[in-house]
Amino acid sequence: MRRETQNILLILLGGALLKLSLTGMFLRYVKAGLQPLLIATGVVMIVLALIAIVRDMRGPAEIAHDEHGHEHRSSRSPWMLLLPVLAVFLISPPALGADTVNRSDRNAAQESNKGNGFAKLADGQVIPLTLGEFVTRTAWDDSGSLNERDVKLTGFVVRKQDSVYVARLAISCCAADASPIKVKMVGQPFDSLPTDQWVEVTGRVVPGSATKDTAYVPTFTVASIVPVATPLDTYES
Amino acid sequence: MGPPHDKAKVGVGDGGRPGIISEVTITGEIRGSSKPPGRRPLRGRVTSLEVLCLVLVLALVLQGWLVDLLDVPQLQTAATVFVAVCVQAMPFLVFGVLISGAIAAFVPASALRRLLPKNTALAVPVAGVAGVALPGCECASVPVARRLMQQGVPPAVALSFLLAAPAVNPIVLVATAVAFRDAPMMVPARFVGSLLTAMVMGWLWTRFGKTEWIAERALRKLEEKEGTSRWAVFAETARHDLVEAGGFLVLGGVFAAAFNVLVPTSWLETLGAQVVLGVIVMALLAVILALCSEADAFVAVSMTALPLLPRLVFLVVGPAVDVKLFALQAGTFGRSFALRFAPATFVVAIASAVVAGVVFL
Repeated sequence: MRRETQNILLILLGGALLKLSLTGMFLRYVKAGLQPLLIATGVVMIVLALIAIVRDMRGPAEIAHDEHGHEHRSSRSPWMLLLPVLAVFLISPPALGADTVNRSDRNAAQESNKGNGFAKLADGQVIPLTLGEFVTRTAWDDSGSLNERDVKLTGFVVRKQDSVYVARLAISCCAADASPIKVKMVGQPFDSLPTDQWVEVTGRVVPGSATKDTAYVPTFTVASIVPVATPLDTYES
Repeated sequence: MGPPHDKAKVGVGDGGRPGIISEVTITGEIRGSSKPPGRRPLRGRVTSLEVLCLVLVLALVLQGWLVDLLDVPQLQTAATVFVAVCVQAMPFLVFGVLISGAIAAFVPASALRRLLPKNTALAVPVAGVAGVALPGCECASVPVARRLMQQGVPPAVALSFLLAAPAVNPIVLVATAVAFRDAPMMVPARFVGSLLTAMVMGWLWTRFGKTEWIAERALRKLEEKEGTSRWAVFAETARHDLVEAGGFLVLGGVFAAAFNVLVPTSWLETLGAQVVLGVIVMALLAVILALCSEADAFVAVSMTALPLLPRLVFLVVGPAVDVKLFALQAGTFGRSFALRFAPATFVVAIASAVVAGVVFL
């Protein structure tokens, strides 16, 4: 591959990273904390390419060749750089959803929270909780602090066999390490809601439903369910 | 091994205009030698520049069709994982090539030789421990290891650094400690297991390794014209490494995404409940998932069905050998190197992890 082409590819790739990190699209793929690093990476790529271009223009006769032509076997590997560029600019894949949830039976209720004790829940009619906290409490909090309490959860609709779940994905670094967190919904028909639709559900946990036999997936009796817009950052951490 | 010790050749014939380096490229899988170098008149030839334009135009024209084609849940998942792996790894790769460029430009080979013990067998553990100082994941360490070889560091020593750096640095250890709050011994177990892997592989290379397995291009220096400023060498080395290694990193991302979708991980996780089978299954899982070494502890901790030992194997094997790393190594050091090095590392890493696990867990 010619040097000029490599430089153009670098600029395109740097531009793709900048586009992702400046528009917030990067939250579909990685954690929010990576944003400054991504911006720096995009800038470095573009600067390295620009330096090469400027230096080529200043001394065109001597770039990229010398007397021993046999050493100029160029590589095809840089072509691969085009793939992420096209993926970002043309396809911009969506955040992970129901398909990923159904790939694993793991439920990211971390056992390691078991010993830490649970803070008292806020007072009030309806307690908003993340799915991660809800699942962890139902699985490991023996005091039954959630029983008889109205809870509001946010997530997307997932179907597996005959069950309907509200779920989210937790990522610790990037979307490749996503693990599902899900809660089984009962209490009404959910036929009107398409899979992957984001919802807010209010209801109560069925006490003792998150056990080893259910892979720590609690059952949730739904009182109300409302479709909501997809949040900017769809992942929990 | 020889080439790294050569003094940089000085291009006399070109008049040595300042600020110019001639790029000796590297990589030889392809018979590209017919390509006219540089700016010779290109009449009648299609260059990569035209091909690139054509591809871009085609992609734009066919965008709607492409988007429809990918409108299948599995393919969308794969596409998302692919972009995620690339986006997550690029900052670390850029970090690695900047260090690599800095070594090429500012660290003379003699300084490195003075720093390391003369005896290779002694230098191997030193290099392994030195990995603590490179706070990145595995993508950063490949270009750095290659540059160390070019500066005359024996391959065994550079390889030991390559294997140790992604696993024993403070960021990864802290991430492991946070993930395994309930099993704090995982941290020393991981540290020792990974360091042991790196050292054993370094010693094995000292004893059995052959320099000719490493592609000649990996050891060759970029030629320097007289009067080239160090900053120019720095920028050119970094750019060159980034373009080359970036391509292979993307290739690794393609594999990781494909495996992510094609391999039924839930099935593998249930298999892992027996210890012996679990060790093997988790080692394979570490290879195909190609997780970043800063993230793998969080994945391992969520596999609550498994005993600690298979999870430790997962943490030790992952940073040492996975599909993304294999692609990077094959691209950087050549296929005949990667085909020998990766399987050996795989076996050594499992053994080291089991030893560390028996001692600490």
